[in-house]
Amino acid sequence: MAETLFYALALAAVGFSVGVISARSPMISVLSLLGAFVCLALVYLLAGFQFLAAAQVLVYAGAIMVLFLFVVMLLNLTDLAKVAEHPTRALGLPRVALAGASAGVLGVLALLASANVPSGSADPAMVAQGFDGLEPIAVALFSRYLLPFEAASLLLLATMVGVIVLAKRQRGAAASGPAKEAAAVAAASAAAEPQLEGAGAR
Amino acid sequence: MPTLPLWAVWVIKAAVIYGALLGVAALMSLAERKVSAWIQYRIGPNRVGPFGLLQPLADGVKFIFKEELIPDGANPFLFRIAPALAALPAMLAIAVIPFAGEVELFGQRTNLSVTDLPISSLYVLAVGGLGIYGIILGGWSSNSKYSLLGGLRAAAQMVSYELSLILSILAVVALSGSLDLRVIADAQQAPDVLWNVARQPLAFLLFVVCMFAETNRHPFDFAESEPELVGGFHTEYSSMRFALFFLGEYCAMTVMSCLATVLFLGGGAIPFWPEAPWWAALACFLAKMSAFLFLYLWVRWTLPRFRFDQLMNLGWKVMLPLALLNLFATAALIALEVY
Repeated sequence: MAETLFYALALAAVGFSVGVISARSPMISVLSLLGAFVCLALVYLLAGFQFLAAAQVLVYAGAIMVLFLFVVMLLNLTDLAKVAEHPTRALGLPRVALAGASAGVLGVLALLASANVPSGSADPAMVAQGFDGLEPIAVALFSRYLLPFEAASLLLLATMVGVIVLAKRQRGAAASGPAKEAAAVAAASAAAEPQLEGAGAR
Repeated sequence: MPTLPLWAVWVIKAAVIYGALLGVAALMSLAERKVSAWIQYRIGPNRVGPFGLLQPLADGVKFIFKEELIPDGANPFLFRIAPALAALPAMLAIAVIPFAGEVELFGQRTNLSVTDLPISSLYVLAVGGLGIYGIILGGWSSNSKYSLLGGLRAAAQMVSYELSLILSILAVVALSGSLDLRVIADAQQAPDVLWNVARQPLAFLLFVVCMFAETNRHPFDFAESEPELVGGFHTEYSSMRFALFFLGEYCAMTVMSCLATVLFLGGGAIPFWPEAPWWAALACFLAKMSAFLFLYLWVRWTLPRFRFDQLMNLGWKVMLPLALLNLFATAALIALEVY
């Protein structure tokens, strides 16, 4: 039963992931990503990691994807349709080549990373509690993984400051109202994210 | 009473609780008009059944017989599925609300809730938070500027207030030392312990304000905001799909009221009566929940609507710092063993 469910969920997650990159409308892409996140949360649940599943839905599906949708709704979708039909004509060959090259580099990096994942490297204390005790997760996050955790917060803070600077510069030029609003909300949410993740871990 | 197998008792519990939720949502649609009439010195619906009690039924029949329109240029799939996405999460979230303690039903001892999870407070927030997708997608897929603006506002508002909501709940969680709503409720039942509303007054205030924003209710109902946006995200909807949005809103209000009761008012705890039987506790729980539901209506017909920038300023510059401060103070007080 559990195995059948797992394969069904895994298949659905892969299907949604394909949808993310193959959909023409960015709206459908974002919704596919949401579907993939929910499938992953269900896989966590199937494995008995209730907290992880709830945090996945709360942080990614609940907060971050809402933000993605917010930004996509402000895009001019007719321009994007032109890009989807004739990428080279709309953007120029160098840009398309650059995008393809970056995608290739990212793909190679992802392959390298997945080949280098050590098996059985989990914290023994967490394994003993079945990954579900909040205390071992919190202790691990604020002791062993404190540096990466803080580094991630710092990165998000830098992103937030960058977004604010970009939005301010646009105001000098003729920035449209919705774009400013979107930038402000994006900045605010980037600020909130480490707090949300910290809160989830507590 | 005959003895039934455990699974049958679970099915009965789930059916009764979901039936009650839908019943409360239907009654709320009547109460909304009755309370508004009362506050504005009118009579309100009083023709269908005694005191107009059958009005929700008449409304339902009317909705079913209305023609359903899908606007030109709308995305048909998303347009059709959005109302269901708006209504479903609130109905799922009610599953972990602990209405009363252990009861004996059909020869089985069981807790009076659909299920119990060790992380039930997170579950309510995570699942309940998904309801926003119905509103965003309904607004986007309608291909109408009013609907789009309503959906955008809903998205911005939800992201802004979800954080303060979570942080205010976390203070209570830290106090009880558990994410389980049943443990949080039971911890307030002891005779010498005050309810969390007295121990965490600031968290309670923040929670109540966020409760209004999260359910898109007045004075924060910018997603529909009828004077500016016609009806916001549901401008283009008709027939039962229109009704589904409202069903979802009333269900979400009910879940939030239950959550406030459990987190801050001790669930079914009755003051000075620690040995209360389960039916008295259940009645007390429902009375507290109804008080919050009445608060929703009372505020709607009393306060004027905010401006959208005021809403954003309040969320980010007042609510969030206060919620963070409250969490820090609570953590410090716990560390100093004051609590």
